[in-house]
Amino acid sequence: MPQLHDSGNRGRVGARPSAHLDDFARIFGIETEYGLSVTGASRPCDAGQVAMMMFQPIMQRVRATNTYLTNGSRLYLDVGAHPEYATAEARTPGDATLADAAGEHIMRDLALDAQRRLRATLGQGATIHLFKNNADSAGHSFGCHENYLVRRGVALGQIETQLLPFLITRQILTGAGRFDGVRWHVTQRAAFVDETVSSATTRSRPMINTRDEPHADPESFRRLHVIIGDSNRSQWATTMKLATTHLVLCLMEWGARHGEETGLESIALADPVEANLAVDADGPRAALRLADGTTTTPLALQRRVLGAVLRFVRMRRDEVAASLDGDPLMTLDDVLGEWERGIETLAYDDEGAGLADRADWACKRRFAARLAARGAVDPMRLAQLDLDYHDIASGALFASLTRHGMMRALCDDARIERAVTTPPAGTRAVLRGAFVAHAEAAPVAWSCDWTQLRLTAPVKDDVMILDPFDAVGDERYARLLALIDGACGTGADMAV
Amino acid sequence: MPQEQHSQSMAHDEQHEDDAAIGAQTTHRTAADAAIDDLDAILDDIGMVLETNAEEYVSGFVQKGGQ
Repeated sequence: MPQLHDSGNRGRVGARPSAHLDDFARIFGIETEYGLSVTGASRPCDAGQVAMMMFQPIMQRVRATNTYLTNGSRLYLDVGAHPEYATAEARTPGDATLADAAGEHIMRDLALDAQRRLRATLGQGATIHLFKNNADSAGHSFGCHENYLVRRGVALGQIETQLLPFLITRQILTGAGRFDGVRWHVTQRAAFVDETVSSATTRSRPMINTRDEPHADPESFRRLHVIIGDSNRSQWATTMKLATTHLVLCLMEWGARHGEETGLESIALADPVEANLAVDADGPRAALRLADGTTTTPLALQRRVLGAVLRFVRMRRDEVAASLDGDPLMTLDDVLGEWERGIETLAYDDEGAGLADRADWACKRRFAARLAARGAVDPMRLAQLDLDYHDIASGALFASLTRHGMMRALCDDARIERAVTTPPAGTRAVLRGAFVAHAEAAPVAWSCDWTQLRLTAPVKDDVMILDPFDAVGDERYARLLALIDGACGTGADMAV
Repeated sequence: MPQEQHSQSMAHDEQHEDDAAIGAQTTHRTAADAAIDDLDAILDDIGMVLETNAEEYVSGFVQKGGQ
C-alpha cells in the first residue's frame, strides 16, 4: 500500500555531485490539476463525491487516493476534489508532453468508468466533465505547474528579472485563452496570480514558487516551480512552453557558469503583475513598462529573448542540441523555428490566425470568429464552448477541431497509450516505474515517493533514488527488485 | 480542378486583369469555402453540446480547493 510522503531528503546523505553539473541536461515535469463537474443528473450530486468515485478503483488497488503508476507518474486526489496528475521526470520537453498526454488518457478512463457507475443511479443523461483548464465559473483557479531542474549558479534575483519577463510574454504563444462571459483573455491564469516570486502557494498566488525541493543533489540543483503557465490542450503549446523555457534557462546557466552577460539584463519589468494582466488582456501588442523606464510589447520582448537565445545557440549548438537529444516531438531547430515563426506570425496579425492550428488561445478565437460570422452567439454559449474545449472526458470541440485540421496534433494515440504504461526514458522514472510494476504483481506491501522506494512486507527494505538522471540503478535497487520477485514464490498472503 | 476553372472564369471578368491578383483571390476564396465546410462539420460534431443549457453547464462548474 503506497503511503505518500516526501521523504524529506535533501540528498545530504549519499548524493554524489551530478554528472550533469556542467552540461545543459534538464529534468522536466508537469503537474496538472483537473476541474470536475456533472451535468444531466436526475438529482443534484456533489462533485467531491464524484471525484471520490473516480478514484474508487485506485482505492481498491492501493487503499489510498494517492499512488504512483508504472509509468513513474503520481496520480492523486487533491484537497477540494481536484483529480491531479504529476508526470514522472522527463529528459526532454516532448517526453514531458507525452507523459502529460498520458495523464489526460488516464484521467479520461477514470472519469468515464465513474460515469458508467454514476448513470446507474442518476440516469443515462448524467455526464462527468473533467476540465484541463485553470478556472471555474465562480472565480476559483487551479494550476498547471511546470518543474525544471536548474543549476544552482542561477541566482534567484535573475529568475525574477530575466526569466519572469520571458514567462509573462511567452503567453502570446502558449496562453490557453479564456472567454469569461464578457471578453476574451489570452491566458487562463493571469487574473489569478498576484505575486511574482514567493515560497507560498496557498495563501498567495505567485508566478514562480521557490520552495526548494530539488529531489536531487541540492548542492548542484534547485527545482524551479513555475506556476504562471496555463493548462494547454495543444501539444504544440505544451512542448513549446517547456522547450523555450529550457533554452532560456540554458542561456542563464551558461551566463552564471562563465560570468558572462546573458543579453537579458535589460528586460526586467517595472511591474510584473501589471504586465501579466496587460498580456492577458491585450495580447502581442500590449504596452509593457520596463524597469529601465522604457516601454515595450510582448512581441518585442520575445524577439529580444529569442535573439539572445539564438546568439547563445550559435556558440554552443552541440551542447544545447545534446540537451534535447531523443526528444520524440521536436528537435532544437524545430523549437527555434516554431518560436521565430510564432513571433513573426503575430507581428503580422495579432489575432494569431496563422497560429490558430497550434496556439490554444488563437484556435479558440478563430473558431469564435467563424461562429460569429454566422450570426450572433450567446456569450453564455461561448463560455460553455470554451469549457467544452478543455473537457477531456466528455468534451467534443477540441477533438473535432483536431479532426478537421483546425488544431494540430504532434503525436498519435498509440504513442500516448504507450506513455500510459512506459516511463519517460533516461530518468529515475524508469526505476520507479519498474518498482511499481514489480510490486503490484507481487504479494508485497510497498510505498514510494519521488526519491525513495520502500518495501514494507513481507520483508523491509528501501532504496533512495537521488539522481534524477539515473535510469540504471545501483546494486541495492537490483536487490530490492529481486526481493519483490522472490516474494512471488513464497506464497505469502499479503493483502495489498 | 475546380480551382483552375474558377481562375478561367474570373479571367473573363474585365475587373480582374491582373493574373497574379486573380490567382491570389481564387486561392483565398477556396480556403474560405473549405473553412465553411469545416465549421459545418464541427457544428455537427458538437451538436450535443449545443443542445444543452449553456447557463446551467457553465454555472454548474464550481471547483473548491486546489493548488
